[in-house]
Amino acid sequence: MASESTPALEIARLHFRYGEQGFELQLPDLTLARGEEMLLVGRSGCGKSTLLQLIAGLMDPVSGTVKVAGQDIHALAGAARDRFRGRSIGMVFQTFNLLQGFTARENVLVALLMSDLPKSEWEQRAESLLRSLGIERLDALAEELSVGQQQRVAVARALACRPALVLADEPTASLDPENALNAVRVLRDACREQGAALLVVSHDPSLESHFARRERLDHLVTREGAHA
Amino acid sequence: MSDLAIVLRSLRTRGFSTAVVVLLVAISAGLLLAILSLRNAGERAFERGTGNAHMLVSKDGSPLVSVLNGLFYANPPKAPIAYAELATLRASFPWAMFVPTAVGDSYRGFPVVATTGEFFLKFEPVLGEPWAFTEGRRFERNFEVVLGASVARETGLRMGAELVLTHGSGKSREGSGEAEHAHVHEEYKYTVVGILAPTGSPHDRALFTDLESTWILHAHDRFEREGKHKTVTTDDLVEEDRVVTGVLLRLPSREASSAPPALVAQYDRLRRDGSITVAIPSNEVQRLFGIVKSVDVLFLAMAAATLLSSAVAILLSMVNSMSERRRQVAILRVLGASRARIFWLVLTESTIVGLAGAALGTVVCGVGLFVATRWLIAAHGIVIAPEIDPRSAVLVAMGTTLLAAIAGIVPSVIAYRTPVARHLRPLG
Repeated sequence: MASESTPALEIARLHFRYGEQGFELQLPDLTLARGEEMLLVGRSGCGKSTLLQLIAGLMDPVSGTVKVAGQDIHALAGAARDRFRGRSIGMVFQTFNLLQGFTARENVLVALLMSDLPKSEWEQRAESLLRSLGIERLDALAEELSVGQQQRVAVARALACRPALVLADEPTASLDPENALNAVRVLRDACREQGAALLVVSHDPSLESHFARRERLDHLVTREGAHA
Repeated sequence: MSDLAIVLRSLRTRGFSTAVVVLLVAISAGLLLAILSLRNAGERAFERGTGNAHMLVSKDGSPLVSVLNGLFYANPPKAPIAYAELATLRASFPWAMFVPTAVGDSYRGFPVVATTGEFFLKFEPVLGEPWAFTEGRRFERNFEVVLGASVARETGLRMGAELVLTHGSGKSREGSGEAEHAHVHEEYKYTVVGILAPTGSPHDRALFTDLESTWILHAHDRFEREGKHKTVTTDDLVEEDRVVTGVLLRLPSREASSAPPALVAQYDRLRRDGSITVAIPSNEVQRLFGIVKSVDVLFLAMAAATLLSSAVAILLSMVNSMSERRRQVAILRVLGASRARIFWLVLTESTIVGLAGAALGTVVCGVGLFVATRWLIAAHGIVIAPEIDPRSAVLVAMGTTLLAAIAGIVPSVIAYRTPVARHLRPLG
């Protein structure tokens, strides 16, 4: 069990290569404390999404380590890694990636299905999270909700398992500037409330003013190939 | 929320294609089950016709033809058994039942069976089910006739109605399309004195009268051939007229025993007489089913092929839906579902389609058989009464579900191998 002082995210000498001649990413050490927020900005194709997938254990690096809540995610194999990801990492996507045909409540419950929370708490957890994010139509299908509501359901789902880390991949890319600010506010407030660290990657420089800690990914990446 | 709930919700999301595939599986499973049920019912229906007769003696060409003509009234037997032979046969053994029959005359295409009163007292059309009359009684005097249930319904004849028979298998003048060599005996009118309850056997499509009346008709024909025109009575009958076409025999046995130990010995003894044909009706029915078994197997193979094609439909439906479902798979993986769990989710989905199809197929089969049974009774008076055999139903359900599960392996593997990162990207 990781202690409270264990960082939510620790990246050390991460090296990833896509194909022999393609995209290559080398990232220096990066640490994100529990409850901390950070924005990584970079132009399209600089490896933002790849970085998040490396952190989530959906891709494997050539070398280096990614620790989430003290656990080297790439040291875990197969189902153990999947289980760890489900319980320790929440993800929010540009297009939200809600399960179509499932209600708002069910989208959150599916995430809880992968958690180690007692089943008796699932319904209450899903309902309280959704209501705290302003979702009243819990049993409306995902596709029946407005874009803003879908985004909040996606946030609720990402936080359902009380993760140590939430990764947001271009969370404002589909939104107009006003809604983009609201979305970021919702995401930050929810993560703070749940005590989760938040790592946002975006190509939108206007978000920089909202994050105390921010970096340009272009500056962190030492090499970059043709991969988009 | 559970894995099963995810599967069911996924199926509901693709409601139309799910319903179509389930329906396809149901039709295939129902068809297979119906063929199995009808096969059993057909066999039972044939066995019903043989009744409680241990043996049938005739002069037909083979035992099978003997049974088809003598008990199922397929064709009038050609060669008669003389009265002297009949007497010898009767005296040869202490038969528990000795019922001579003469089949050859007809009424509007329905066969007329001339026999003795013992036919109604000792012969059971269905083993363990004696004759029952819905109206009237058995014949007691000459020129009285008893109608089988289907004959009564199809001809509309009522108690007390008079009719004339056709010598031969053509139709009498009340009907149409007389056979070339058949002629109507208008001189001798028969009176309906009884109507039988349905037995679910070929006997329902026959009329029954006494032997003497039939012999009188034959004697009349003989006089006609000799150029003598007269009203014939029993006093005019000679040995030549007193012929039968078959004899139903039953050996003494305990009630429950349908094949007493002496049967084989008597069967062998009678068969030594080369002038007659001896048949054990139940054996001949089995032989008949052995002959038609190849056709039966063909039907079963066709039904199985249909079932196989429905499994292919499941496969195609699920593979086609994979493009939209890869995103769902990727989301579930991000949320923590392992590859193995994804594999089982998809496999469970196809299995449920198979199970639902099998269940619906059983219902479809049950309803279909019920409707078909009603129709057969109403239109043809055939009581086939097919029932869904629980063992067949379980086997078909298991087979269907297994096939569906096998069909689900390919889409499950596709889901298993879905690259997560690629399918989480924005659409468009």
